[in-house]
Amino acid sequence: MGEASGSIYDSLRKKGVSRRDFMKFCSLMAATLALPVGGAAKIAEALEKAPKPTLVWLEFQDCCGNTESFLRANDPTVAQIVLDLLSVDYHETIMAPAGKQAEKSLYDVVKNQKGKYLVVVEGAIPLKDGGVYCTVGGRAAIDIAKEVCGNAMATIAMGACAWDGGIPGAAPNPTGAVGVKDAVKDITLINLPGCPANVVNLTGTIVHLLTFGSLPLTDSMGRPLFAYGHRIHDDCERRAHYDAGRFVQIWGDEGHKKGWCLYQMGCKGPETFKNCPAQRWNQGTSWPVEAGHGCIGCAAPHFWDTMTPFYKRIEQVPGFGVEATADKFGAGLAAATAAGLIVHRIARASKKKSSEEEEK
Amino acid sequence: MPKIAIDPITRIEGHLRIEAQVDAGQVKDAWASGTMFRGIELILKNRDPRDAWAFAQRI
Ligand code: SF4
Ligand code: SF4
Repeated sequence: MGEASGSIYDSLRKKGVSRRDFMKFCSLMAATLALPVGGAAKIAEALEKAPKPTLVWLEFQDCCGNTESFLRANDPTVAQIVLDLLSVDYHETIMAPAGKQAEKSLYDVVKNQKGKYLVVVEGAIPLKDGGVYCTVGGRAAIDIAKEVCGNAMATIAMGACAWDGGIPGAAPNPTGAVGVKDAVKDITLINLPGCPANVVNLTGTIVHLLTFGSLPLTDSMGRPLFAYGHRIHDDCERRAHYDAGRFVQIWGDEGHKKGWCLYQMGCKGPETFKNCPAQRWNQGTSWPVEAGHGCIGCAAPHFWDTMTPFYKRIEQVPGFGVEATADKFGAGLAAATAAGLIVHRIARASKKKSSEEEEK
Repeated sequence: MPKIAIDPITRIEGHLRIEAQVDAGQVKDAWASGTMFRGIELILKNRDPRDAWAFAQRI
């Protein structure tokens, strides 16, 4: 923590990361960001020169799940690179100083690096009763967020709670919890919803910023298209079973053993946009649907209310695979009238290939 | 007796504040407070019991 000098590549070299591993990382990032040919070289060139950006990590009404995700980058080399991309000057869960010394590290950054540092926010911000439901160092989360995000180059809201209030914001929202977008206005903000968000998407966002000097393109909900531009259902390896009408009916039945579609068991993949099937979890070993459980829709707006009960199947499957992004999907959702599987299967026959909306 | 406060306590998950009354280098009394509340129990009410694991698992 705290060392902010030298380029990212220099500091990696000093730590023994080989050129080969560095290039592998750049290729992974280029693929994650869906960059055209030459993307990896461009990223490498940028990281060779770019100084480490300072990052402060604010935890509010959180469970630390995104921190866990952050600290569990795919493999040791990637983990090292991710931690090395940044100079993490403040992070309550991992920093050595406590109390006043910790708070000093935070406000030193705000004061001395105004407009130059990055903020990751994890957790919701409670507004009820003057913000008493979350305080750090005696200050309400909302006041901290206004000051720290307000003076940053950019803020990354990581996880469902920082995006739209998440679980603290679920009905009846006892503490008046909201996400950063509703708590702090007029800031440069990008949202990485999910419970948790995948560290690959955090890294991709930061690498994009370092390489192109701008945040990645987003949809109308402020989520980067590279990570939230595809529907789970359209990239799911069980999709062939869905299309063929082979559904798990009871946990542990024959279909479940054979890896059939989890739609009837409540899978929310048809309404959720995130790159889980491609990026996966736990060192890239698997993801929920592969492990045999439906997607619970954790990247969807207000999913604790809109995607529950988790084990009840969605009545209507809107958008028969023609929507490429969540923005178009919204329109499809309103127009969808088809209920049940039979109608869906007929409609699927007329499915059009979705157009690529990724940033080129 | 002077009272000191350490807030935030770092390297733990959750938000914690410790106040201690110190007399000649000795802690005489101390108070711990969790400084974050979400109301998960209230949020859990009236929901499908099968979803409880997901709501209640977090710290
Ligand atoms: S309903 Fe779920 S399990 Fe079935 S194909 Fe869609 S995402 Fe995959
Ligand atoms: S599979 Fe669904 S619920 Fe699971 S992490 Fe991905 S988007 Fe969230």
